[in-house]
Parts: sequence; C-alpha cells; structure tokens
Amino acid sequence: MIRKILFEHQNKLQLIIAFFGALLGLLFLQLSFHYLIRIIEFGDGEESLQRNALIVQKKVTNFSSTALSKNNFSSSEINYLQKQGYITEVAPIKNNNFGVSLQTDSELVPYFRSDIFVQAIPSDFLNIVDENWNWNEDDEHVPIILPRDFLVMLNTFASAKGIPQVSEDLAKSIGFKFTLYNDENKAWKKVKIIGFTSQVSSILVPDSFMEYGNMHFSTGGEAKITQVMVNLKDGTFGEFEQLMKERSLEGKESEMIVGKLKSIATLLFSVLLGVACFVIGLSGLLFIQYNQLILAKNEYTITTLLRIGYHPKAITKAVSVYFIRLFFILLVSSSALFLISKRMLDYQLLKAGISISTSYSIVSFLGVIAALFLYTFFTHWSAQKEVYVKR
Amino acid sequence: MNIRFESVVPHPLKEVSFQDNSIWNNNFSLNKEERVVLNATSGKGKTTFTHLLAGIRNDYDGNIILDNENTRSYSLEKWTLLRKSVLSFVFQDLQLFQDLTVNENLTLKNKLTQHKSETMLREELAFLGLENKWNEKVAHLSMGQQQRIAIIRSLAQPFQWIILDEPFSHLDNHNAQLALDLIEKNCTANQGGYIITTLDHDSALHPSKELFL
Repeated sequence: MIRKILFEHQNKLQLIIAFFGALLGLLFLQLSFHYLIRIIEFGDGEESLQRNALIVQKKVTNFSSTALSKNNFSSSEINYLQKQGYITEVAPIKNNNFGVSLQTDSELVPYFRSDIFVQAIPSDFLNIVDENWNWNEDDEHVPIILPRDFLVMLNTFASAKGIPQVSEDLAKSIGFKFTLYNDENKAWKKVKIIGFTSQVSSILVPDSFMEYGNMHFSTGGEAKITQVMVNLKDGTFGEFEQLMKERSLEGKESEMIVGKLKSIATLLFSVLLGVACFVIGLSGLLFIQYNQLILAKNEYTITTLLRIGYHPKAITKAVSVYFIRLFFILLVSSSALFLISKRMLDYQLLKAGISISTSYSIVSFLGVIAALFLYTFFTHWSAQKEVYVKR
Repeated sequence: MNIRFESVVPHPLKEVSFQDNSIWNNNFSLNKEERVVLNATSGKGKTTFTHLLAGIRNDYDGNIILDNENTRSYSLEKWTLLRKSVLSFVFQDLQLFQDLTVNENLTLKNKLTQHKSETMLREELAFLGLENKWNEKVAHLSMGQQQRIAIIRSLAQPFQWIILDEPFSHLDNHNAQLALDLIEKNCTANQGGYIITTLDHDSALHPSKELFL
C-alpha cells in the first residue's frame, strides 16, 4: 500500500532512461569483464610455461657471428630488465655444459635416440606444481618439459616406422632416458615427461638436474647466459616490445604476435570496461535523483504516514523494495542480453580462428551483482536520508 | 500516561505575554483518562499545542514530560511508536490521503495497528452516517465527511490519549454529538483520555478539565 501511494501516478521517464542506461552499462560490464578474463587466460592449461612468460635473446648480427659483439647477458643487463615496472620477474636460462642424449626406454615404442640440448628455468615461470619440478640424485625419474616440436618429430619418426603416433597424454606414460656423458664418464637417468611447451625449442629440466650434469659431466668451458626468461604484467606487451627494440632483443615470433594481440585486445576491453563503469555510475546517479524526486514529491505522504504511526524504516523499506525489484529485473535482463551477445561474439571469434574458452566467467556475473548492490545501497541510503529529516 | 508541561513557550510566541491561566509559560499536568478541552480563538497556538504533543515541532522552550520522560530525548522512531499505540491524533488539516478511498485510508492505519476488524470500521462509518462512502475517494467527500473519516481513522489504534484539533469545525451539532459519542466510547474501551481543541465553547462537551491559551 505504501509503495502504491509513493510510486503510482509518477512520471517514469527519468526512471526508464536510468533503466536502459544501466542495462547497457551492465551489459558492457559483463562483456568486458568476461572477455578480459578470457584474453588474460588465453593459452593457459595446455602450456607448461606461464601465460606472460617470454624467452628473449640478443639479436644475432653479422658482428656477433664473427664474435665482434657479445650475445650473452651480463648481470647488469639482467638487473636492468628486473627494474622495469612491467616486468615482474627475470631469470637467466641455464644451458647444459655436458653431453646429453635422449632415447626411448620402452618396448612399446621403437628405439629412438638423439643428441639433445637441455635448458633449466626456475619453477616460478612454470604452470607446474613446485614439488613435481624437483629432482634429487636419488630420484628414479628426471622430470622434463618437452617442446611440442619434438613430439611432432617423434610422431613423424613413428609414422615412418609404421607404428601409431602418440598423443601428449600417451607420451607422458612412455619411458625415456637420458644419457649423460663427457670424455671420461657416462651415466643413464630415467626421465618422465610432465608437460609440453610451444614456447621453448629445447627440453626443459629442473635447476638441480642442470647443476648435477654440469658438475659431473662438464665438457669444460664457461656456461654462458644467452637467453633470459621474463614474466610480464598483463597487457604490458607494448612497453616490453619498445624495450626489445631499444636493446636489440628478440623473442619467438609467434609468441610476439600473440603477446601483441593480447595487449591490444586487453586495451580495447579495458576501455569498454571504463565506459561501462562510467555509464553505470551515471545511471546510478539518475536512479538516486529519481528516488529523491519521488520522495520530494511525496513529502506530504511521508509526513502523514509518520504522523499516523508508520515507522520511518517501513517507509524506507518500501522505497528500497521498489528499487530492488527493479534491479532484479535489470540483473535478469542484462544477463540474458549478455548471454546472447556472448554467444554471437564467441561464434564470430571461432569463425575468425580464435579459439577461446566459451565457459561463463562467474567474475563478470559478480561484477553485475556488485554494481546492483551499490545501486541498492545508495538508493536505500538516500531514501533514509530524506525520510529521517521529516517529522 | 500522564502529560506534564513545564514552562513551555513556543518560539513564535516568545514575545507574547500570557494570562495567568494560559498553558504557555506555566506548569500543568494532564492525568490519564481525563477529558480535556482547550478553548481559544484563532492564532493563540492550539495547533502548535497539538503539534508539540505529537512531536512534530520542537521549537519551544521548557519541557514536555510524558510519564516522567522528557520528550526532547525522543527520536523519530520513538515518536512513531507513540503515535502508533499511545497517542492518537486528528490534525486540523486531517492528513488524509486524497487519492485513496475511504476504505484504503482506514485500512492503511488499521493494517499497521491491527486494532479493528473491517466490520467494526464499517459499523463506525455507519454510526457517523457514512456507510455508503466505503469505496468513495476521499477527495470527493465534503470537509465534514472528511473530518468524520479522520476521526474514525484516529480511533483505529490503541491509545492512552487522543488529541483532536478542532475536529467538529465542519460538523453540525447532531453529527458533532455522534462523533463525540464515538470518541467517548473508544476512550472508555481504551481506558484513555481526550484533548479536544475548539474555537468556541461547545455545550456538547463535558470536560473534566479546561485549558486556556
């Protein structure tokens, strides 16, 4: 009955404008949140290296080929990289200074052996649980991360031999072993594939194994740091690319393109998120203004209700419930619009060859809930402020 | 509930000099179940008196004590609780909802207090000669009819005091007597008292106490 007295026969034009403004704002909010998350997560899951991890090296020039300039990183150069605000972590990639070959160690697959090159990077750069990326001399297996190109090569070899190809999952269960050697010593270590990478061309091993190999099977000479691994903040690829140009650094071309595209898409959706927040804020102000207008127009009604014994809370509750119902309609309609838009966008992205996760991100829904909670809070607060000054 | 005024002077009347028996700037008490009439000509502060008792105004010097509690300490919540179950009012401007029907005006109050049934409300309407106005919009009623609706609404709650500001100003003697009978009946049922402000001395009223301005 109170709601009827307060809200019937009111001009609802401002409310309608606020409603559609908020609807658009919430739709943009959900879209931008959802696609920002999806872009940031892009590549997660199937890649053993973290999503913003990049391997960089110095550009090979005619001078470096003729040893007139150095291609290795000094500690001051690594420190310089570490100081950049958009780089969260830098670590040198260690190379093997010992002879190593990989061979199959299973009756299920034909014999295969190849001299290889191994590298070690800290576990901070990997999407692998620390305890799986550990190795002690007594351990039965050395955990390794295999380049996908290596698996392709293995499968080409398998085809040539007329045996079935192996998937990534199957490859993890096949037995392999390392042969470590130098002129004097030789040893064998069983290895276990625990992940795959498309970003690195060498086989990755734990730090402790690299130290072990370099200590016991060293072929002499100094182990130089020719590559470093950097972890970038989300959406900062542009800044890092500028630095790479200035410092004559280079990375893997495919990773560079993905990084650039991710940065552009992140920027675009961040702008959309900003617009969404602005529209939501503006609509919120319209809701509050409409609320105040209604309460000002109903001054007589409110004082009368108070004078016949209605508690001020009962009046503010009636106002709040009116808006909560409206916000619920907003929640349902903006979510429905989002689902339709998402379906259309996902389809278009897929058509363009961009395969991103199509699952619904709960964070974008929580974003809408948070916005509507703020709306509810401020409309209730402004109603309370108006009612409690009356007598 | 006992009501006590201690040297109360509304701010707009600060410069006015009062008679010895005036309620302003004097001390007096009203005890429960008393029938009180406040008789004065226009502009002396009858409505101000009603509004002070209702907690609508607080621009006054002195103290208003309700059952040993100074009303200055009352919050809006406390006042609305009193207005719901201890003090009932018929304001001079009636404070009815003009766009609502008689039924809706009465139900709005009765829903809050759950004090009377619809049958009882209809009986009271019939007693005051308004039995066919149940679904009529208040805006369509005469001032006299509206006064009677406001009286019935004020009785749709438990009370210890009912304060009526010129409640019969638009009623003929017959209807004023009927309204007074209804008020008396409800006062007895609630073990409450009334305070009625009037412009002229009304012979139908037989107060136990008279106040002056």
